[in-house]
Amino acid sequence: MSIAHHPGDELLLSYASGAANEAVALLVASHATFCAQCRARVQRAEATGGRVLTDMAPVPMSAQAYESLLARLDEPARAVVQAAHLQSDVPAPLQAYIGTDYGALPWRHVGGGISHLPIRTRGGMRARLIRAEPGSGVYTHTHKGEEWTLVLTGSYTDKTGHYAAGDVQSTTPEISHQPTADAGPVCINLAVTDAPLVFRGLLPKLVAKFHGF
Amino acid sequence: MDVGEAARLNALVVAVGRAQDRAAFQALFDHFAPRVKGYLMRLGAGNAVAEDLAQDAMLTLWRKASLFDPAKASASTWMFTIARNLRIDAIRRERRPELDPNEPALLPEAERGADESLDWAQAEDRLHAALAELPREQAEIIHLSFLAEKPHSLIATELGLPLGTVKSRIRLAMARLRQALGDES
Repeated sequence: MSIAHHPGDELLLSYASGAANEAVALLVASHATFCAQCRARVQRAEATGGRVLTDMAPVPMSAQAYESLLARLDEPARAVVQAAHLQSDVPAPLQAYIGTDYGALPWRHVGGGISHLPIRTRGGMRARLIRAEPGSGVYTHTHKGEEWTLVLTGSYTDKTGHYAAGDVQSTTPEISHQPTADAGPVCINLAVTDAPLVFRGLLPKLVAKFHGF
Repeated sequence: MDVGEAARLNALVVAVGRAQDRAAFQALFDHFAPRVKGYLMRLGAGNAVAEDLAQDAMLTLWRKASLFDPAKASASTWMFTIARNLRIDAIRRERRPELDPNEPALLPEAERGADESLDWAQAEDRLHAALAELPREQAEIIHLSFLAEKPHSLIATELGLPLGTVKSRIRLAMARLRQALGDES
């Protein structure tokens, strides 16, 4: 699979360093299941973290720390995380949040072929899935902050280009856009925002408020 | 840290993974536990919490050592990811969506060829040398990304820089590091 639009280095670095909040980490990890290049880039950035740890000024452990740790070495480990379902088209990191079947989700219809589903994450940003029937478009909107969109299935087009499965679009407050789903499979996206979207027009504003965008 | 020291740490983790070698584990504890503790305290943890989490990090090393693959990461890098994840889980109480390197869907499309046979300790050494040679303003932002745990927008505000400048410094720095490794040339 060839990916045309990647997350920026600053996003990969914040994922690797651990500074990214949960919603951003979910987006980066999900993108990486589509993208060998970004997996490699994350590994490079983590190696930078290895250097940071090496250079860290050591803070002595207490005198009994090693002995008390030895007593714990034979404790049974907690159960390991359940393995991902490989036959699912839901990226493994996302399966922990929504399961393995996009069709089985309690989608909330917004109208005009668009539905959405908030995803619970902690750490301050909002993550949601947005599902668009072919040909349907999200109302023109701008952003108070940054928004990242990962295409999970299908594809969409806006004035900046064409985005297919695995692609990440980054938008900033200056950009006003109206993404429209292409003909073909249903377009499902993972959208992460650090502030509410700003819709143009009264009706879209009311609909957005009702749905908590 | 020179290549020899990195290779020594790698070999110690491998020894723990293969044979639950407690002498190797103690040597790893002596090296890593105080650094992990320092890392956690630098990011705001108190002494007691940092000490507990550093112990948990060492316990994780003990349990997962058999999964350690020196072809993919050095012991220091692996230990960093363990400490990072424990911190996100225990202090921020967030989940950490992880890449699963063993998942077939995650295997690289193109074989990594040269990279695979590369001694990763040497590759990381080149990376570290390149890191040391970064222009100061780029190194500062990379460093803050790991030790300030702030969004880049906030780092930009604190440094009095436009966000775009912070992002372009990160991109320049990361491109230099990749260049040092001969990636994506």
